[in-house]
Amino acid sequence: MEPHLVGVLTNIGMIAFVALSAYLLLLVGEISFGQQAFFGIGAYAAGIGTAVLDLPLGLALAIGAIAAAIGQLALALPTFRLRGLYFAMASLAFAEMMRIVLELTQFQVERDGELVGPNGAEGFRGIRYIFERGIEPAEFLLLVAALLAATLALLAVLERSRFGRRLRMVGEDELLAALSGIDVFRTKLAMAAAAGALAGLGGGLYAHASTYIEPRLFDVMLGVHSLAYGLIGGLGTALGPLLGVGLDIGLLESTQMFAGYRMIVFGGLVAVLLIWRPRGLLDERLLHRLARIGRR
Amino acid sequence: MLALDGIAKHFGGIRAVDDLALTVAKGEILGLIGPNGSGKSTTVNLICGLYPVTAGRITLDGRDITDLPTHRRLSEGIARTFQNIRLFGGLTVWQNLWVAQNAPAHRKERGYLARWLGGSKQAREETGRLLDFAGLAHRKDELAANLAFGEQRRLELARALATRPSLLLLDEPAAGMNAEEIAALDERIRELKRQGYTIVLIEHHMELVMAVSDRVCVLNFGRKIAEGTAAEVQADPAVRQAYLGTA
Repeated sequence: MEPHLVGVLTNIGMIAFVALSAYLLLLVGEISFGQQAFFGIGAYAAGIGTAVLDLPLGLALAIGAIAAAIGQLALALPTFRLRGLYFAMASLAFAEMMRIVLELTQFQVERDGELVGPNGAEGFRGIRYIFERGIEPAEFLLLVAALLAATLALLAVLERSRFGRRLRMVGEDELLAALSGIDVFRTKLAMAAAAGALAGLGGGLYAHASTYIEPRLFDVMLGVHSLAYGLIGGLGTALGPLLGVGLDIGLLESTQMFAGYRMIVFGGLVAVLLIWRPRGLLDERLLHRLARIGRR
Repeated sequence: MLALDGIAKHFGGIRAVDDLALTVAKGEILGLIGPNGSGKSTTVNLICGLYPVTAGRITLDGRDITDLPTHRRLSEGIARTFQNIRLFGGLTVWQNLWVAQNAPAHRKERGYLARWLGGSKQAREETGRLLDFAGLAHRKDELAANLAFGEQRRLELARALATRPSLLLLDEPAAGMNAEEIAALDERIRELKRQGYTIVLIEHHMELVMAVSDRVCVLNFGRKIAEGTAAEVQADPAVRQAYLGTA
């Protein structure tokens, strides 16, 4: 495969994780502007895992996911009990705070005569696991694709389960969900943990694909984009956010079609869709219609 | 069956419900009336636990449910409908009933295995009966959001019944209905009484309340100002004053 294409597809795959994490929260009716923080936590934790602690990649990715899940739970616990925009506001504040914490984090050790590890605003260099092991970009893409496919399969099962229906009930009407016997708070906490873990996994992959990360990468633009991916692609299925990522990165960012005008096109796309299809291209109604056709 | 003992709900300085005592006997229909803002809806919200009481106790069949969280009141047998209809618009008619029947709170008490073995066919029949009761059998695969207003009202009632409640709280079920629909609702409520449900009915449509209620309780400014049969309440000077003002 052509190297450029491999790079684009890997990017789509990794960003899809953080888009899915924002999507999971949207399902239960919570808007997060801070998923970049958990992407960042995952990237740093997994990076430290392989580069500083010399752990195998799988373990490092798992640590990244768990660290991010814990972070997201810490944010969700105090804010999910409140109704309204508190979680959205807190998520933005938390993410900015996290970015500054990362800028202040110094944790370097000497390896092979070179300092590796987070070095504040200078970033975190030398996450060379896949290069040291001679893993080809195409092989790494395969890993990303396999993890993404497994995640999507898991989400597909989840959405068809009772729990999946419960999520949508909570997202549609919290009060009615509670009256229908659903423990709204715990359901949302479970989603927060899953969302954090997904964002963290994506971040861990990202750190290893790019070998270098810095706090600046995890700013609010990433969070806003991940939120927008679900809103563009659709909230009816986990394939919606993936479609959103594909449209943005695959079409707008990677081709030169809208060079220089990407953000205008992207912003316009979001605005038009919010008016025309508030729940995205692949929304619940479309899926319902497809399901009815399928049954016939 | 249901007993409210000195319950109060204050929103800041506003006393939406104040020192209210109320009992509802098993199998009875209690009409709850009063001018706008008199605390009827707040009372219903307190019974189903949408917000905590400021003071007082609520008991159901002798069990204290005052501090029970909202999602656990379902398994105590409390179900309600809303003045402004609340349905899961993104689910179909059938699914709305299905999720009510299969509420997680119910599943625990009936056992996973029992459901697995014999539950589903029985549940399907029950859904069918509810669809017939609500006259929605032909609409069962339609999204709830796409239903007409009257159909949504009927679905909401069926949804409440699907949770197998013993106590039904109906918050203005006749709001927005025409005379014909109200007559059908009247018949439906009587049918529910025959089936043994206990009902608290909030309604502004006096003809309906007076016709179906065994007892009527009148609220004004969060307090009970009269209670008795329809005839007694209608003759009560305090009630006339609350509704019509002093002559």
